Amino acid sequence: MEAARSAHVSGPREQRGEENADGKDSSNDAKTHFRVCRFIIETGVKLDMRSVPVATACALYHKFFQTASLQIFEPYLVAMSSIYLAGKVEEQHLRTRDIINVCHRYFHPGSDPLELDSKFWEMRDSIVQCELLILRQLNFQVSFEHPHKYLLHYLLSVRNLLNRHAWSRTPIAETAWALLKDSYHGPVCVHHRPQHLALAALYLAMHTYGVQVPGGEREWWQILCEDITRAQIEAIMTELLQLYDMEAKCT
Amino acid sequence: MDRDLLRQSVSCHGPNLFSLLKCEQSENPDFKYVAADLAKSVNQRDKEDDSPVVEQFIARKADLLFAPSWKFTAPEEDDWQEATQELYAVIPPLEQFMDVPYEERRDIFYRDVERGDMVIGRITSIRDFGFFVSLICTAGGLERDIEDLEITGLCPIRDVPSSGNHDDPLSYFLIGDLIRAGVKDIDRYHEKLTISLYSSSLAPNFNKIKLGVISKEELPLHYIRGEKVASDSSETYERLLESSLGFSNPSNVDYLLGNLGIIDTKSPSLMRGLQSKHFKEDDFASAIRKKQSASWALKCVKAGVDHFKSGRHVEAMNEYNKALEIDTNNVEALVARGALYATKGSLVKAISDFELALDTCPTHRNAKKYLCQTLVERGGQLEEEEKLVTAEGLYKKAIALDNTFQEAEDALRKLQALIQKTLKRKAEEAAREEKPQATETSAEKLRKILREEKRRRSDSSSVTSSSSDSSSGDSMLSASRKKSKKRKHKRRRSSHSSKKRKRRVSSRDDRTTEDKEEHYPVPANTSASFINHKGALTKLIDEEGGDEDPRGSYGKNRAEDSRGRSEDYRPSRSPEADSGKGRWQFSDRPEDPVLTGVNGGEREAYRARRISDDSIRSHQEGSGSSRHAVSKMDFLSSAYSEHSLKLDGPMKDTSWQAASEERSEGGGRERKDRAREDCGSNRGADGKDRRLSSGDGNRASAGSQKKDLPANLLDIFNQIAEFEKERKQKK
Repeated sequence: MEAARSAHVSGPREQRGEENADGKDSSNDAKTHFRVCRFIIETGVKLDMRSVPVATACALYHKFFQTASLQIFEPYLVAMSSIYLAGKVEEQHLRTRDIINVCHRYFHPGSDPLELDSKFWEMRDSIVQCELLILRQLNFQVSFEHPHKYLLHYLLSVRNLLNRHAWSRTPIAETAWALLKDSYHGPVCVHHRPQHLALAALYLAMHTYGVQVPGGEREWWQILCEDITRAQIEAIMTELLQLYDMEAKCT
Repeated sequence: MDRDLLRQSVSCHGPNLFSLLKCEQSENPDFKYVAADLAKSVNQRDKEDDSPVVEQFIARKADLLFAPSWKFTAPEEDDWQEATQELYAVIPPLEQFMDVPYEERRDIFYRDVERGDMVIGRITSIRDFGFFVSLICTAGGLERDIEDLEITGLCPIRDVPSSGNHDDPLSYFLIGDLIRAGVKDIDRYHEKLTISLYSSSLAPNFNKIKLGVISKEELPLHYIRGEKVASDSSETYERLLESSLGFSNPSNVDYLLGNLGIIDTKSPSLMRGLQSKHFKEDDFASAIRKKQSASWALKCVKAGVDHFKSGRHVEAMNEYNKALEIDTNNVEALVARGALYATKGSLVKAISDFELALDTCPTHRNAKKYLCQTLVERGGQLEEEEKLVTAEGLYKKAIALDNTFQEAEDALRKLQALIQKTLKRKAEEAAREEKPQATETSAEKLRKILREEKRRRSDSSSVTSSSSDSSSGDSMLSASRKKSKKRKHKRRRSSHSSKKRKRRVSSRDDRTTEDKEEHYPVPANTSASFINHKGALTKLIDEEGGDEDPRGSYGKNRAEDSRGRSEDYRPSRSPEADSGKGRWQFSDRPEDPVLTGVNGGEREAYRARRISDDSIRSHQEGSGSSRHAVSKMDFLSSAYSEHSLKLDGPMKDTSWQAASEERSEGGGRERKDRAREDCGSNRGADGKDRRLSSGDGNRASAGSQKKDLPANLLDIFNQIAEFEKERKQKK
């Protein structure tokens, strides 16, 4: 993936030999990860992937690089393999041919489709081998509990609390869902429990629109998730919102 | 931007948000419209907590968050059904967990309940104007905890459907019954609810739900779970969620997304870079794949064309097929393959390939050209196969495709001329054949009816039996004749009214007696007369080539038949011969005593077999060409073979069988040869006959019947000669 390296991963590659403050390195890493996750999500859209397989792909990527080093492994290749693996895990099987086509076009916009030559077969081989590498790095634990399920059930419960008209004119569900999907740009998904992440997304969505919810002995979010505090929710929310800031920096 | 939403948000967060909004969204033209309105609502602040980060976020993403297109349209309201299987985890209403106070719950219930909702309650009292129900839970989409709210609804008597009989409909209900009803009217001020048991009171998506008395099992799941929670305070939302079956359903995400109205693959993001307008159609996997398949297929097609030009058709076909596997309906591959098919001669396949190619790409020049040529060629082929109309269609199609194609037009003109000619000819033929066709079908039916009647009357009196015998003989005879003869014969038959059988029989009788008298003086001696008779017979047959033919031959054959019959019985029943003799002059009669003496059952079987053989024979022999003289002999020999084949069936005696087999063999040979060989076999058989005639009487009962219808004239004549001798001896 020479082209990939030259186009997007110039940061870490250049700095490999130099001595840098950890902060800068890690922030660069964070940017790289952000970019690669953006790449994963974009590819997911072009491949017509559902939200949950995309989430699995990103989670695999983040978990992999929790223990692996960017200096050794090419992130974009890991990303492509994690997409392929996620498709298998979440029962939305993707063809390597499609993945290669989309990725090639991502790096060479407007180019012709690849020919069926040795280069193509080599790329295919490398994806498959990297897949095995990911599996080994993660100890073959590739099934994740995603917050999507929780979020949807929470949404249903909250919908019953509200007046139906208020619900229909307030796009709470869409916002919460978008927030959840966007959260995969960063390692939030692997740092927190899925219920917490779902709740934070919902909380933020409700908060954004200033929706009135009947109060009681306990707050609605306290019911949905017993062991969370407001502070924790706020922390997650902050992390989520930082991702949006990062977007401005990276792209 | 949605004004109301913005207002709501701003009022929630206060002036901070407003100022942030102003600064972030200053370029946004939509915001400017609403800014003025918002200024008014700024001062209301509901929330105590301050979240500047959130406010910042809202401000930045306001153009997305409050865009009207952000909100998806509500999903189609399908018919709502009580969830029988748990597709997702059903949880009791949050109100219950939250311990929302009584007053608040009551307020929001009356705020939110609407006409058309479904509620479930228990009957508390029954009056003469209706009954009162204390609501215990909501059903349908709305889930609220209302059991302890003491909400009552009145169901007036006019909203109770009558049970059919003239009793008071209220008598059907008892206090304590669980009722499912629809909300008909709400008086929010007085907090009164009117419910109804008619499904018209429900919202349209509740059409399938039955109202009225329900059982405990039909209570909604969220209520049942709610009861569990109320009784056991350690049940938390989370525990309940994770323990329910629907939570582990792998497709609950998809189901709930549909329920909530979110389309998963198209759901927008709040990230600027992921907005849908940034995605180009060409970058999507399916689009790239199509282009790639087309280019890979094209390579194969090129290789295939090379093979084709060098004459390697097999490899060319392989390449084309490979190309079509990679990219089905690839235009170039289809055109090339079509050309290859056309060259090899499989024109139909070529045409289908070209048409498929033109479907995909109607302007492909080569495809059109090749298709025209192939259509014309195919038209030529069809013309040779006499399928003129199809050929015409193809030519027209070719011209429609390419009206400069001269060959097609020439061919079409020629063909149309040809069609005109054939149409004229056919019309003439049809006019000719109309009459016989009509009669034939009715005659067919007639024959069937007659056969039925014959079978039925076979056991009855001698006259009828003999007549049926003769008519069955007739049928057999006619069956073995040619089609044209049959037609004429049937025409004749139908012309003599079918119902007047006796008359026909008598006419036959007349004819046979006539013929009898014709033949009577003939059999003087054996061998010479044998030859002469054959010659005479053939002469007679030849003479009666025209109209007389059927009648004469018919009569003659009948005579022979009857003679044969009588003759058959002769050898077996020598004592009866005299009586038989005495009466054998009358064609039908002599058979009667002989035949009636025989076991009727066996005759029945034999006749049945005969008739079935008739039908087989008619099929086999109907399609021959008409050769009168030979036909007669053929007929005789075939009848003989029929006879002998019939003999095969019930025959147990091996020698007899051998003889019949020989005869059947003779019958099985070519028609042309039949006459000749049968003569020989007849001669041989004659000898056998003579031998047999002097032989067993045991076989008589079985065999004699089978010999009922000898088709061999020569045998008959021999027997006539013998009889004559005896007569002379007697005298």
